[in-house]
Amino acid sequence: MPELRKDPIIGRWVIIATERAKRPDDFAVSHEEPAENHCPFCEGREEETPKEIFAFRKSNSPPNKADWDVRVIPSISPILRIEGDMNRHGVQMYDVMNGIGAHEIVVETPQHIANIADLSEEQIAKVLFTYIERITDLGRDLRFKYVLVFKNYGWSAGGGRVKHARSQLIATPVNPKRVKEELAGAKKYFEFKDRCIFCDLMHQELNSGERVIIDTDGMVALAPFASRFPFETWIMPKEHSSDFIKLKRNDVYALAKVMKQLLSKLKKALKDPPYNYILHTAPFRIPRKPGYWKTLDDDYHWHIEVIPRLTRVAGFEWGSGFYINPTPPEEAAKYLRELEV
Amino acid sequence: MGELRRDPITGRWVIIGTDNNGFKLEDYYSEPNIKGKGICPFCPGNEKMTPPEIIAHREGGGAPNSSGWLTRVVPNKFPALQVEGDLNKRGIGIYDMTNGVGAHEVIIDNPDHNKEIADLYDHDVERIIWTYRNRSVDLRGDRRFKYILIFKNYGKPAGASLEHPHSQLIALPIVPKRVREELQGAQKYYEYKERCVFCDIISQEIQDGSRIIAENKHFIALTPFVSCFPFEFWVMPKAHESDFSYIQREEVLNFASILRESLLRAKVTLRDPSYNFIIHTSPIEDMESEDYHWHLEFMPKLTRLAGFEWGSGFYINPVDPNVAAKYLREAKIN
Repeated sequence: MPELRKDPIIGRWVIIATERAKRPDDFAVSHEEPAENHCPFCEGREEETPKEIFAFRKSNSPPNKADWDVRVIPSISPILRIEGDMNRHGVQMYDVMNGIGAHEIVVETPQHIANIADLSEEQIAKVLFTYIERITDLGRDLRFKYVLVFKNYGWSAGGGRVKHARSQLIATPVNPKRVKEELAGAKKYFEFKDRCIFCDLMHQELNSGERVIIDTDGMVALAPFASRFPFETWIMPKEHSSDFIKLKRNDVYALAKVMKQLLSKLKKALKDPPYNYILHTAPFRIPRKPGYWKTLDDDYHWHIEVIPRLTRVAGFEWGSGFYINPTPPEEAAKYLRELEV
Repeated sequence: MGELRRDPITGRWVIIGTDNNGFKLEDYYSEPNIKGKGICPFCPGNEKMTPPEIIAHREGGGAPNSSGWLTRVVPNKFPALQVEGDLNKRGIGIYDMTNGVGAHEVIIDNPDHNKEIADLYDHDVERIIWTYRNRSVDLRGDRRFKYILIFKNYGKPAGASLEHPHSQLIALPIVPKRVREELQGAQKYYEYKERCVFCDIISQEIQDGSRIIAENKHFIALTPFVSCFPFEFWVMPKAHESDFSYIQREEVLNFASILRESLLRAKVTLRDPSYNFIIHTSPIEDMESEDYHWHLEFMPKLTRLAGFEWGSGFYINPVDPNVAAKYLREAKIN
């Protein structure tokens, strides 16, 4: 019998279609990729990109030259612009503002490697330190409410024609809808129980174990109960924390380790699938009303959502917000848990 | 510079590219939808390949599950939900779940394998709309169901697994999230203004005119000011009506006609794009609501799914809806 499962945080129902259960091999098709373009992100080609915003440099090498580990540059085709006022205004019954924001590219390695799973833990940790650095810096700009950190890997996940590992940061003048829903759901639960819903969820998952993929000292990777997509995975810190940028040094390394393991497992299980990951973290807390973010530090819990792009069903689910997932998360978790990498 | 626009119904902000200098229609042309060979279970003569039909439209009669039908409804062979059984709502610790009880039906639009709605006559489309309406009316009698979702996936990239033109109907024991958001947004607007937000949108759009694609006595087709996707359009009844299944005879004719015309405009403009359309209607229980307004949303599948839109709910639409409307409106159709 198929099941309907409710996401405990935002209340979205998902059909887990147990009857047409799909195993990893059903998805392991070759993923179409177009021909690759010349890569401007490799070390030694720094003059081919816009001037860097930030870089982890090996020694005291000058900016926009070789000899770096991670490099952040403005997007060549930004969807939001950094200069200008927001100019919120109404157009008849509609509300409009200028597309102000920041759009940055994090080049994750000086070498031409496509998948972050193939970088060393040390290198992944540097990428994570870069996220922290950039989010912190963008948070100083009072026009911004949120920084979305995400990765599009592979053509059908929205990746580009250049296969050099990188992620993106978009600072937005409004909070994204999905983030707002999560914040609202977590707050509601907190008002009711006086506990963080993510912590509760994690305890229950660690107790049952059936949806846990990786369990380390600081971090857990699990398949959520109401997964929307086959092999969807969340990585969460065990210790309660609302804000990714407050991550301690040790935990950065713990996270790098779990990311490397998880993404390597996905690569092996699903034959190098296209995927997205998205960091969900607390917004910048510019108080709009007194007490507005009062409980946020206690009720919200940052995490990373990893979504392999395996199924095509898209438009319908986008339009209705109703997802059908052919792989029960317990099966996905068991498979990934037992896979050796 | 792009703009951020706020959806007046759900409050969602969308980034819209309004710098139209760089716009090239060619960038949005679709790859041809090439039809494969092989046996089609939906073609006349192959009725035995589907589960026994629920209902069919046969001009001049004929036995069930024989050929000679014009529109045929069958249960989905691989249903996402099962029609038999109880919901058995239950909790597991922090989680809530129910059995996957529901109906999942396939509406085979017409006998011709190669004719999509855009290629049919109005009266053929009328028959399809009647079938949508009749199945809705029938299923709303089942008390386990809260919502009836009618949609179409056309083309492989849009999720269609069979080529033969068909639509689908899913009766659900819950209200889908996106619909619930719309309902709540519309309710909030109504509480504030005592008017239906969709009616307000329609009257403003008719006055403005720049986003209208087609219009007839009862319906209007337009690209929403806050479109999430390039060339997205909505078809809405001009008179306030919350529930699709209450559609009247003359409205069915007008709905069929504007839907066929709009789909043909999209087909000509974008060179046979893959697409989804979904009918948004009120939940079964909310009869004759003052604040909600049923409509059809059409989304062509033109851009690759930019990754973070899934996770963030933040949409980026590079095409100004005014530009999309202009191309669709001016498309040369016969």
